[in-house]
Amino acid sequence: MTLPVAVRIARRELRGGTRGFVVFLLCLMLGVAAIAAVGTVRTSIEAAIGDQGAVLLGGDAEMAFTYRFATDEERAFMAARAAKVSEVVEFRSMAVVGDGETAERALTQVKAVDAAYPLTGEMVFDPALAPVQVFAPADGIPGAAMDPVLADRMGLAIGDRFRLGTKEFRLAARIVREPDAAATGFTVGPRTMVRTEDLAGSGLLEPGSLFDTNYRLLLPEGAAVAPLGREAVAAFRDTGMQWQDARYGAPGMQRFVDRMGSFLILVGLAGLAVGGVGIGAAVRSYLDGKVGTMAALKALGATSGTIFAVYLIQVATLALLGVLAGLVLGAGAPILAAPLIAGALPIPVEIGLAVRPLAEAATYGVLTAALFALWPLARTREVKAAALFRDLGPGRRVWPGWRLSAVLAGIAGTLVAVAVGVSGVPELAFGTLGGIIAALVVLTLAALALRWFARRMGHRARGRPALRLALSAIGSPKEEATAVILSLGLGLSVLAAVGQIDTNLRASIDRDLPEVAPSYFFVDIQPDQIEGFLARVKGDSAVSRVDTAPMLRGVLTEINGRNAREVAGDHWVVRGDRGLTYSALPPERTEIVAGEWWPEDYAGPPLLSFAREEAEEMGLKLGDRVTVNVLGRDIEARITSFREVDFGTAGIGFVMAMNPAALQGAPHSWIATVYAAPEAEAAILRDLATAYPNITAIRVKDAIDRVSEALAAIAKATAIAAGVTLLTGVVVLIGAAAAGERARVYEAAVLKTLGATRATVLASFALRSALMGAAAGIVAVAFGAAAGWAVMTFVMEGTFRFEPVSAVAIVTGGALATLLAGLVFALRPLAARPASVLRARD
Amino acid sequence: MNETILSLEDARLVLEGNAGPLEILKGISLDVARGESLGLVGPSGSGKSSLLMLMGGLERATSGRITALGHDLTALDEDALARFRRGNMGIVFQSFHLIPTMTALENVAVPLELAGAANAFGRAAAELVAMGLGARMDHYPAQLSGGEQQRVALARAAAPRPAIFLADEPTGNLDAATGEAIMELLFGLRDRHGATLILVTHAPELAARCDRVVRLADGCIAGEDRARRVKVAE
Repeated sequence: MTLPVAVRIARRELRGGTRGFVVFLLCLMLGVAAIAAVGTVRTSIEAAIGDQGAVLLGGDAEMAFTYRFATDEERAFMAARAAKVSEVVEFRSMAVVGDGETAERALTQVKAVDAAYPLTGEMVFDPALAPVQVFAPADGIPGAAMDPVLADRMGLAIGDRFRLGTKEFRLAARIVREPDAAATGFTVGPRTMVRTEDLAGSGLLEPGSLFDTNYRLLLPEGAAVAPLGREAVAAFRDTGMQWQDARYGAPGMQRFVDRMGSFLILVGLAGLAVGGVGIGAAVRSYLDGKVGTMAALKALGATSGTIFAVYLIQVATLALLGVLAGLVLGAGAPILAAPLIAGALPIPVEIGLAVRPLAEAATYGVLTAALFALWPLARTREVKAAALFRDLGPGRRVWPGWRLSAVLAGIAGTLVAVAVGVSGVPELAFGTLGGIIAALVVLTLAALALRWFARRMGHRARGRPALRLALSAIGSPKEEATAVILSLGLGLSVLAAVGQIDTNLRASIDRDLPEVAPSYFFVDIQPDQIEGFLARVKGDSAVSRVDTAPMLRGVLTEINGRNAREVAGDHWVVRGDRGLTYSALPPERTEIVAGEWWPEDYAGPPLLSFAREEAEEMGLKLGDRVTVNVLGRDIEARITSFREVDFGTAGIGFVMAMNPAALQGAPHSWIATVYAAPEAEAAILRDLATAYPNITAIRVKDAIDRVSEALAAIAKATAIAAGVTLLTGVVVLIGAAAAGERARVYEAAVLKTLGATRATVLASFALRSALMGAAAGIVAVAFGAAAGWAVMTFVMEGTFRFEPVSAVAIVTGGALATLLAGLVFALRPLAARPASVLRARD
Repeated sequence: MNETILSLEDARLVLEGNAGPLEILKGISLDVARGESLGLVGPSGSGKSSLLMLMGGLERATSGRITALGHDLTALDEDALARFRRGNMGIVFQSFHLIPTMTALENVAVPLELAGAANAFGRAAAELVAMGLGARMDHYPAQLSGGEQQRVALARAAAPRPAIFLADEPTGNLDAATGEAIMELLFGLRDRHGATLILVTHAPELAARCDRVVRLADGCIAGEDRARRVKVAE
């Protein structure tokens, strides 16, 4: 057996150091580190969510309702099964300090709790008081707690008074930690916390007001959560009840972490693929330099198998080294940055070492290294002893043979299987890997096309030596062009995709807003207030437009008598409750695209007008019967028309509108949008809030800022992950330029001998780099756009628009980077004396 | 045959080695006449190839003066030297030094293109046909045998019709028969174009074909034999 011999020879060769393998090691290390780091953070967050499920949720389980309290039947159901029940009410309102002209108003997310709150975890206040002390009345004024940000903004000190609706409260404490904060999800305003009973008489929880109730259940020892959940869902689903339990304490956050984590790992995987091209190129270049050694070994009696083993052992050893370094970096960086990361998260997370994400990253690293290194390695078998006498190089890039092809396909298959299995988002994983493979194929074709083009154009460039030299270098059978275009193109594709996603995310807010967005959104206007409300705003010359609509919320439960979810699948309209309005006439600026609106005085069975696009997506036709559950009551209505509704205008838009008779009897409130000149906004808000303290005004600009912040955070995480890919790309690029330096030195020497000036040589090198960079860049833009579209459409569920500035910047950057790397590594060739270079080759 | 085409005055070459400066050529003075064939012989390390590189402007003399075709090579910078070589010097190496990314035809056309010659490719093709490589024009160097590669290198050197041919052991990497054929071609080129040929060689029979043979030893000229070929012929 020749293995021991191979090991001995490999060891002796490795003694020479890892100089030729710096790029190899860096590529592998960066890719593995990125995946390991994302995995480590994700595992820590998931562990925190899992461990603290009950605390995050505020109980073992939760039954949630929209715009109503639980019915007696529902309360009885909970009381019979839970050891303890706590009721939490959430709604938006305005906190007000002072009166008249000088009043301060701020939007706040109110959380009203009962005496049992919190069932799990602990509220932390500043000063350190128990909830019962915080909410206790002093001088007949009930206590409240506030987010310090809100208290500071309103200039409230402990003991100061403020109003919610018509009710006065006293700031008793600032909120330091709210154990179940993550359960609330996205909010528009900072928190104010009060006792529910103290809101009586505030005018805020009237019928038709927009509020959520959450009933947290603490189950008796040993009670199983899952069957109870099934029982509750079966009993109350059609009333709009939503069930959550501690297995998924923060489902919104869990889903976000899952999706974001998978997405970032796939970005990391794309980075590893870029690195893979660098790995392949490094191995090929190293082996090219070893042809002499291989030929000598062959001449001395080594078989092809022995030689293959010698270099396989070396590459495998170095791959393990690279993976190990990547794991250390990937696990170490998040632990070192733990205070920073934990500070940015809404729940307490302890970032520590976890085996699973590291094993995952190592698996990706080993498989990628194998996938990209085996082919060049296999070519060592083709080196003939004759290479000692002639400059043969390892065999040309030929079909690697069935056996190796099968092995490579097996490795690629395993890689896909692992990525799909581990990510838990198979469509995303398939999409990403499919994209990478497609990009590699297209880039290979682009390289072949460029080489063909270079050979064809070579004749035309006759007489222009710099251009012809560049073209013949690209078109030659040496594979430099393919390697450069592959590595650069893949790196640029990932960057272009991330660039498209990033700019789209940032632009989505601006872009989706119309030229004129409303200044304020008013909610919770009671039916008896709407007239006064309109009188105030319509009489104001600074107000250009006012839209109002009655608003109810309902759950679309059935379509033509069948469960809506079975008919429409997971469409967003049937997920949870939706806004619903009624109107005798088609609202202004409404375009009926099919069917007819009901007569103004229609009083027959309920009729419905549905949003055109959503109806199409759900497969609804005119005449279909739709059942909507409004506050526990089922209303079946027939669809008589479809309307165009633009949900991107920040104005009022309802998927469903019914005839007045169908809904008028149900408790409801009105919403309004007011378009006013900026200088008049404050006065309008002051007058309305003073006249109707229960009304909540949401400043559209503030709400948009909050959404922008959330999107910016996503864009930032994506940009960081992409940064690693960029770094890998740069390493690969520098590696490719460095690997080409030896050949370049030689070419420059020969050309100078034949009479070429340094300018001619430099121009030829620059043209070569620029041509290859441009080819890679063009493919990258196309691929980046395709990938950006896919991610924006399917992952972010947003709209995509091609962003030419980012695309052009990336292509230019790519071409410039290639040019720069090429030129930096052209300095030595240009400076070298031909005599010494040529003699060294003799 | 008395016009001096190439002249060296006390040319010295000192290279920086790992163990300090290394004096390769220790003051060479030599005149070469137009149309003459000059053989440079001597043991390995005697400085033959370095001397040839100095003559071709591929290496810069540390001191002394080198004049070729009336140009002071020691006063020219790198690019001026490159321009001077166009059309004036054809250089052939032991290892051929073809550009691996170019076909035989493209390799031969390069110096013509650099010199801005009209019909560079037509002339290159004609040169290759003359070398018996008409069927191999579109082959890359790696697809050619050693003898064929050296014939391409010869064609490349000859295509611009240089006044001076410099050849550094042009048959060193070839078998005897192929080497002989290459030498026939080389001397044939010189005879056809009336060029000057300066040849570094280890082969006594090759040196014997030259008008004059300069023997180098340890960086100095150790002796000179003139017109032996003529004597033999007599």
